Amino acid sequence: MQKAYSNKKIIFTLIAPGLLMFVFAILAPICLSVYYGFTDFSGLGAYQFIGFNNYKELFGDRNFWMSLRNSLLLAIGFICIQHPLAIITAALLDRMGKRAEGFFRTVYFLPNVISVAVIAYMWKFIYNPNFGLLNKMASALGFSGKTNWLGSGMAIWSVLIVLIWHGFGWGMLIYYTGIKNIDPVLYEAAAIDGADNKQTFLKITFPLMMPVIKINVTLAIISALKQMETVYLLTNGGPGNETQFLANYLYKQAFSSFRYGYGNSISVIFVIVCILATQVLNKIFPKEE
Amino acid sequence: MKARKLLSVSMAAAAALLTMSATAMAEEEPVTIKVFSNNPDRTADQGLVEQTIFDAYMEEHPNVTIEVEALDDEAYKTKFKAYAAGSEMPDLVSVWGQPGFIDEVIDAGVLAELNPEDFADYGFLEGSLDGFSGDGKLYGLARNTDVIVVYYNAKMFEDNGWEVPATYEEFLTLADTINEAGFIPVAMDGGDKWPLYIYLYDLMNKKDGTDLMQKTLDAIASGDYSDLAFIEAADMLREAAERGVFQIGFETTDYGTAQNLFTNGQAAMYYMGSWDMSMATNMDIPDEIRENIRCFNLPVNGENADPLALTAWNGGGYSVTENSANKEAALDLLKYMFLPENWTRIAWENGVCMSAQDFSQFATGNETEVQKQLMDMVAEATAISGTSIGDLGTSEYKTVCEDTVQQLAIGSITTEEFWAGLSALAGK
Amino acid sequence: MEKKRHFTPGKIVMWIILAVFAVIQIFPLIWLVNHSLANNNEMFTSGILVMPETIRWDNYVTAFVDGHFLLYLRNSLLVNILAVVLVLLFSVMMAFACTRMHWKLSGVVMGLILMGMMIPIHATLLPNYIIYDKLRLTDTLWALLIPYVAFSLPQGLFLTSGFMRSIPKEIEEAAVIDGCGIYRVIGVIIFPMLKTSLVTVAIMTFLNNWNEFMMAMTYLSSPTWKTLPFSVLEFTGIYASNYAVQFAVMALTAAPMVIVYLCLSKYITEGVAMGAVKG
Repeated sequence: MQKAYSNKKIIFTLIAPGLLMFVFAILAPICLSVYYGFTDFSGLGAYQFIGFNNYKELFGDRNFWMSLRNSLLLAIGFICIQHPLAIITAALLDRMGKRAEGFFRTVYFLPNVISVAVIAYMWKFIYNPNFGLLNKMASALGFSGKTNWLGSGMAIWSVLIVLIWHGFGWGMLIYYTGIKNIDPVLYEAAAIDGADNKQTFLKITFPLMMPVIKINVTLAIISALKQMETVYLLTNGGPGNETQFLANYLYKQAFSSFRYGYGNSISVIFVIVCILATQVLNKIFPKEE
Repeated sequence: MKARKLLSVSMAAAAALLTMSATAMAEEEPVTIKVFSNNPDRTADQGLVEQTIFDAYMEEHPNVTIEVEALDDEAYKTKFKAYAAGSEMPDLVSVWGQPGFIDEVIDAGVLAELNPEDFADYGFLEGSLDGFSGDGKLYGLARNTDVIVVYYNAKMFEDNGWEVPATYEEFLTLADTINEAGFIPVAMDGGDKWPLYIYLYDLMNKKDGTDLMQKTLDAIASGDYSDLAFIEAADMLREAAERGVFQIGFETTDYGTAQNLFTNGQAAMYYMGSWDMSMATNMDIPDEIRENIRCFNLPVNGENADPLALTAWNGGGYSVTENSANKEAALDLLKYMFLPENWTRIAWENGVCMSAQDFSQFATGNETEVQKQLMDMVAEATAISGTSIGDLGTSEYKTVCEDTVQQLAIGSITTEEFWAGLSALAGK
Repeated sequence: MEKKRHFTPGKIVMWIILAVFAVIQIFPLIWLVNHSLANNNEMFTSGILVMPETIRWDNYVTAFVDGHFLLYLRNSLLVNILAVVLVLLFSVMMAFACTRMHWKLSGVVMGLILMGMMIPIHATLLPNYIIYDKLRLTDTLWALLIPYVAFSLPQGLFLTSGFMRSIPKEIEEAAVIDGCGIYRVIGVIIFPMLKTSLVTVAIMTFLNNWNEFMMAMTYLSSPTWKTLPFSVLEFTGIYASNYAVQFAVMALTAAPMVIVYLCLSKYITEGVAMGAVKG
């Protein structure tokens, strides 16, 4: 039996297809990025090696730091707004009857199955300052209804709202499942001890949810770093570069500014930042068990 | 819909003519010409003109199939660069005769050289092909003469007793009045950013239009933007935005939305190029607005100001690609497209745009009001600006110029910061 | 049971909160559908919702025809289903090799692939374009299928190996002792045992790739393989100023997934929840 389990040929055939895909579609392009990151390639014609010049420029590039800042803001937004709302909703939902649970769960998750392309364009219309849904609602409620939602200073928050809205159902669902997995005996015991809803939530639900929360916080930060599609369609980083994100910025540099080499150096740093962030988070939230 | 009908009648006539000459060349090998175009709407405006000509060409050359891939401007430029970096370039492509787009492309040897003599009797307006040339060689043909104007809703003006402004001051005051009446003064496509630097350039041109293009090119090369006309124009753009001349959120309003604000009666004026004269024949626009679209040349007064100066350029055009597998066929199609009775006539008769060739020969007297106004403006013009500031540098310059002019307009940077940012790019 | 049926004030507040969230999640979509049935001008003149003068079904006809709805839907389904099948197959194969079989580099390979979860798709957009172009893969199905599989594989491997560790080894070991080959063990014993877990991987893979358009936009040019998001992206250019038609195409392209979701909502939400809590 030992022999069957260490048959090199079989192992190779099992591993090869997946590994090949991975090397071809992820590893090779990253190596190529490293290569182009050291050049002044414009995307066309000849190019030269310029050493670390792209990287030097990148660290002095305001838009690069702006992108990182925006990722951080987004992550904070997820953690401080989306997740608390999701946890509370999940806890409330847990107390509803079976049918209501199913209904609300379905409704909350619905935006997640709709393509980002649709979501982003739809929100562009919702935010339109002159005839969009939000300002129409605001004026119906007696406000001026002249808010420039995607304007300077507001734009990053408006982007955040869309992302929170879109991802709310997903977060809620995960917390909901986490809560469902909590042993009901604990609640019964708490009820016998005369604990009220608030106490039960704070003393039992919340602490037992910690592992799930940690995982979700990690995921939130990673997805904040990786943000691209929504921003690309909603603001394309504007006004100015106020809502710029790394992925969008590298695309813009490579394809709008004709700076393919520079764009690739951003790619490289982007990968490094993502890996670093994950490592740091793993340190902060060590795996239990 | 009407535009389409009109077009089909004129095309039927053209097609009848063409079939006669076509019989000679039947029985040839099948060829597929791939066209990459920046006119995604094939049933209206320039996309329709393009498609009509292609259809006629295919009718005439049964062996030729023309495959069109079309994307709108931004997506087009991105994809164009991806294509150019790769190996499978389409045969006939849309290009812009502006350094910010075409220089790098010409340098990389992507475009095929054209023989200017082939087009000697095509009636191209003087200077219209300059932008499509590099080192004295011709690489593309211009399709339009683009003039930036202020469109206005004549009925709205009349109903409210507003007058077409004669000076820039009057223009600003009018904007205040319109705001008070609860309308948007000028619908501005600030989301695409280039209309903002066109506005800036428009002001520069009219304040002191002598040799503006050369002056701007020099400034881009040296990084010295201290010319007073530059500084003042930037201040004026900022002032206009601050004063509420443009709609709220103009910096995020895209092209379609800006146009919609005007064509749905929310905005009294609309700042856009002459190609949007096609609004006057667009049956999707409510009658009372469509029939009342007029335009004026943004007035700027001052010591050296020239009221008849036009901010105009030859932007879009077509090129054949150097590595095209069907270069000859694509070239033949290009020559066919630009026969004056094709592009120029069809575009003009359908109220789509003014070509870069002599379009006045096709004047019928049945033009829309706005067409007539534009034709007069071009005829009277004393000075033409040429390609505008953002399109005169490299593509990096263009990107920075776009981003910062937008920031300038919304006041998140100052005039000094704006020019300093552009200065920093000198020599790059 | 009788007790729970009571509507206490607390319960009413809970209902209200949940209902408010439900409205926030769902109202924009209602608004979208509502305006897709009006004409373009009504967007500017109406209040929050519109009672169209005439219901403009022709907006949907335009969206259906000019949006190449059927072709793009077919492409989306094809590429996504193929991707799901390949991801499942490769994940199980690799997970088996890494968790059950004995070889030196098993940890390294597993670690390498799992690192893929942290790598942003967008960082590979530029170099991949060059690679695919050199290999003449641009504008083919492969240009989407390869990266879709590659980027879903790390998560697939992570989940399946997790599930695999939790199923007992004895059955397969007995089979191996009886002379059953490894491939058969995987096909006949492992796959059926992992069935519910694989549903999770399939759903997550499908949802992730269904929404993708950056790669599709960069690598594809002719309509042959374009996927559903293109209907929306193309309409913003073609019908730049006709919002009603744009709304119709958005509603139309969202419809297939919404319908599937409403029918299978229980399985989909449970699948996602299972994957996410594990992950």
